[in-house]
Amino acid sequence: MATAVESSRELDDFEAVVRLYWLKVFRFALASLRDRHAAESLAQDCFFKAYKARHSFRGDASVATWLMQIAVNLVRDHARDRRLQFWKRAQLTAVDFDTAGRWIPDGGVSPEVSALAKEQVQAVWAATESLPERQRTVFLLRFVEDMDLLEIAAATGLKEGTVKAHLFRALQAVRERVGGAK
Amino acid sequence: MIEHLSAEQISQWMIGERTPQQERHVAECDECRTELRQLETTLQQFRGAVREWSDSAAPSAWRQPASRGLWYSWPRLVLAAATLLILVAIPVYWSARERQRAAESEAARADALLLERVDSAISQAVPEPMEPLVNLVTWNSSPAEKNNKLERR
Repeated sequence: MATAVESSRELDDFEAVVRLYWLKVFRFALASLRDRHAAESLAQDCFFKAYKARHSFRGDASVATWLMQIAVNLVRDHARDRRLQFWKRAQLTAVDFDTAGRWIPDGGVSPEVSALAKEQVQAVWAATESLPERQRTVFLLRFVEDMDLLEIAAATGLKEGTVKAHLFRALQAVRERVGGAK
Repeated sequence: MIEHLSAEQISQWMIGERTPQQERHVAECDECRTELRQLETTLQQFRGAVREWSDSAAPSAWRQPASRGLWYSWPRLVLAAATLLILVAIPVYWSARERQRAAESEAARADALLLERVDSAISQAVPEPMEPLVNLVTWNSSPAEKNNKLERR
């Protein structure tokens, strides 16, 4: 893991930081908001805020975690901002995830297995949409961004135990949706 | 043996909350192991699908190169390794060949020198210790000198 000094130095070349982490921030924003333009706008805001605050970065966490912390706050603000609720209703630029199945690699499996995999991925996607914002954020950070519990705690400002509780509830909901819960 | 993992225990397992008894049970229970593996697979596929989908939705400037999958593929790696091997092997081969040629040339010179010495050795009329005596004798004496020698006897 990078030391505080190394993490701080990483910010010296901010252009490189943007190049390295833009997709990660955009992906989290897109999966959270499900709107391409809103996700792009959020990613730009995230890096703008990070650039302005780069001198106050102490390196307690990695640059990636710090950026995700900013992104999580922006997603939360976005969700709370009633003026932007029309995005949810109109879905004018919403990206169609119904075709998500086509991203599942066939890997030489039978058509039946491939169809089942696509169905389950879409079920997980639908389940995450109906999760409360905190649970969805924690779920996406864990199972899409592959962050560990401590990193998620740092990014969300929650205690590790609270992260576990949100993750547990999110998993229960997802498993009910995909048909795995007994 | 404890009972099969409950729905709650499976969710807890996925976030790293598990007891030694549960671990022992899962190690022995095909049913629980299969259920956990299926859930892990579904979540991995979800991760892959979201990542691919967001890559495709990202502005082109930020998109991952489309060929990155191919770049890391085995055929490419094998081809790159073979090319590298050839590039390294050619100078090494030429260097070894040059050394071999030099050694052969040196050996030929040594052989020639040895043959010269042998020729020189076998062309001597008398052994080396007797050479001073030979120098005293004129081998190409004239007939008059031969007669003088016979008269002295």
